[in-house]
Amino acid sequence: MMREGVNRGRSGRTFLLISLLPAILILGGFILLFFWGFYQSLTDMRFGRARVDFEGLGNYARLFDRGRFWDSISTTTIYAFTAVACEAVLGLAIAKLFNTRTLLAKWCRPVILLPLVLPPLSVALMWTTMMNPETGVLNYFLSFIGINNFGWISKADTAMFAVVFIDVWTFTPFFALIIFAGLRGISPEIIEAGRMNGAKAWGLFFRIELPMVLPYIILAALFRLIDSLNQFDIIFGTTQGGPGNATNVLSISAYFTAFQNLQFGRGAAIMIVNWFVVLVSALVMVKLWRYTRKRVS
Amino acid sequence: MKRHTVALALAAGVLATTNVLAEDFDWRKYEGTEITWAYDIHPYADAVVAYMDEFEELTGIKVKPELYPDDTYWGKLNIQLSSGSPDWDVVGIGVQPAWDVTPAGQLTPLKAFIEDPSMTNPEYDYEDFFPALRRAWTWNVEEEKIIDTPDGEIWAIPHAFENVQLMYRTDILHRLGVEPPGTLPELTAACMQITKADPSITPMAVRGVRFWSSIHTAPISIARSYGVSDFVGSGEDFDTGLDSADSIRFHKDYVEMIQACAPDSWANDNWYQVVDGLSSGKTAMAMDANMFGFWNNIKGASEASGKIAFAPPVTAPDSAEFASNIFIWSLAINSASEKKGAAWYFMQWATSKEMNVRGATDGKLVNPPRASTWEDQAWVDYAKQPEFNNFYDTFNTVQPKIALLFTPRYGFGIAMNAWAVAMQDMVGGADVQERLSELADDIREELE
Repeated sequence: MMREGVNRGRSGRTFLLISLLPAILILGGFILLFFWGFYQSLTDMRFGRARVDFEGLGNYARLFDRGRFWDSISTTTIYAFTAVACEAVLGLAIAKLFNTRTLLAKWCRPVILLPLVLPPLSVALMWTTMMNPETGVLNYFLSFIGINNFGWISKADTAMFAVVFIDVWTFTPFFALIIFAGLRGISPEIIEAGRMNGAKAWGLFFRIELPMVLPYIILAALFRLIDSLNQFDIIFGTTQGGPGNATNVLSISAYFTAFQNLQFGRGAAIMIVNWFVVLVSALVMVKLWRYTRKRVS
Repeated sequence: MKRHTVALALAAGVLATTNVLAEDFDWRKYEGTEITWAYDIHPYADAVVAYMDEFEELTGIKVKPELYPDDTYWGKLNIQLSSGSPDWDVVGIGVQPAWDVTPAGQLTPLKAFIEDPSMTNPEYDYEDFFPALRRAWTWNVEEEKIIDTPDGEIWAIPHAFENVQLMYRTDILHRLGVEPPGTLPELTAACMQITKADPSITPMAVRGVRFWSSIHTAPISIARSYGVSDFVGSGEDFDTGLDSADSIRFHKDYVEMIQACAPDSWANDNWYQVVDGLSSGKTAMAMDANMFGFWNNIKGASEASGKIAFAPPVTAPDSAEFASNIFIWSLAINSASEKKGAAWYFMQWATSKEMNVRGATDGKLVNPPRASTWEDQAWVDYAKQPEFNNFYDTFNTVQPKIALLFTPRYGFGIAMNAWAVAMQDMVGGADVQERLSELADDIREELE
């Protein structure tokens, strides 16, 4: 009887191990690749050269010494935080609309997913055509309100606005869906209790709904922030980091360094810095999410 | 009728030549071999693919073409060569990318093949390729270094080449009463005249994207007439020439020209936007590779057919000497190929005199890189047809001045990409002298 139990325990463990093996292997692969990337960043690896010398932190020292690298860090954070903040606000507004029983909400719900299912590079190409200052449809519409030749992705002073605009158009639905799920999760009794206590619509929203969906907003912001800090497709497909260095975020800078200038070691160092920026931002967001969740519960 | 006669004569000539080649030279040495030829999806590839059956019949070698879209091809080429994969035997390549791959021995030196009479058909005549093209493909390598010497190794065979010219819509300039400009300030003035006369027309298009491909057309060609070189000196004195007084003068004029002439989308414009503007009639002038004008002039090819004329690149105001940069589409052998003999057979056939004339008269292999093609009556008659305007004569004017204007360097893209980014900054309003100084500092740091 006992032996049977031991056998069952053993086979259970074996089954568990076999089920987990693919996940362990994939995770191991990721970790291995990450460390390989980190090792590359410590070398002077270049395309077309067989010899690879270990440089220690030389690539990092060279990066930190250059003003343009810090410009890239600032461009990356401005891009990501602005896009995510706009998406959160707009996503909340759309989720609020979805949470009503209006005809508009009924019509919009299925359509909202559309930008999310398009490949980001296709989105970029579509907007590149629409944002062409001379032939694009956006400037045609702007001309009706007296704005002519808006630069969009072609001028340094408008390019950042343009790429953030595309990010917001693409990913606001993601926020809207998650916040909508949060709003649906609020018990009608709580809202009703608020009403009984004399709270008006704004009061209900700011004192009950918003605090209760805040963990959802922060969770969505966490995912989007990770993605936006790594954003490549939208920027490469539109401005390629330009004009000049106006939208030269870290991922674009790493791509240029590694695949255009063929300096793989230096490109890897930029990617590691990018990873570090993402890591720090993600940790802060997770802390914030835990805090808000605790408050709600 | 005339075309028909030309085609018949050409076909008879080729048939006779093929027979002669088959008798004089052992074309069947590698019979039964199968090789892979990788190239860009391009009219130059079409020119070869159209006659592939003849090659296979002549040699018994089977060629598998692997053709990729432009953006994909160059990335894939880097990966294939650096990985040491023998999958691709013959590759399409340009000189600039080759500067980065030859120091690591990723291409097969070709001199031994060319000089071996058992491997090269006596009719092949390597010296027939234009001297500037042969010179551009000749250098020696040391680790991380290109040793530029006329006696060096030969790394690829020119297949066709682009040279930079000013192209303009004759109908638009005629309608607006504008003369084709000769100098950069004249070009700026012509643009202002066009804008004043018809604001719906974009006066001029050039590439503006932040890659070296923007620099290699108009900027480097015009800059040379101002006395600017990307690099100057040698040995210890090797330095960038981009912050010189001449360079500052050139950039001020060039930036002024872009601001007056180019569309607002300039910073995002690559060759396809440049060509599209010219062929659709939205743009009056363009400075880019001349074959784009040629292809759009072909009867029925576009709305612009017969309306695009050619002129040498514009110059500095005080210089009569223009310069025209080239990009040479070429064939090379992957050093990891296990079928180098068969690969060389395919290459020498694809770049032979006969194939050059055929590809050119099919309207695809333009500009043909062999001097003899430009004297061949079939090609002369074809290229001088009225729809091509002054294409033939302008080519003959420009050809003696064509040269690869970049300094041969391993890692050349680093400085040249930085130049393209700086150009965008300057057109965007950055102080020219300060930005060039910053650019030069970056390049010097790289040289160290």
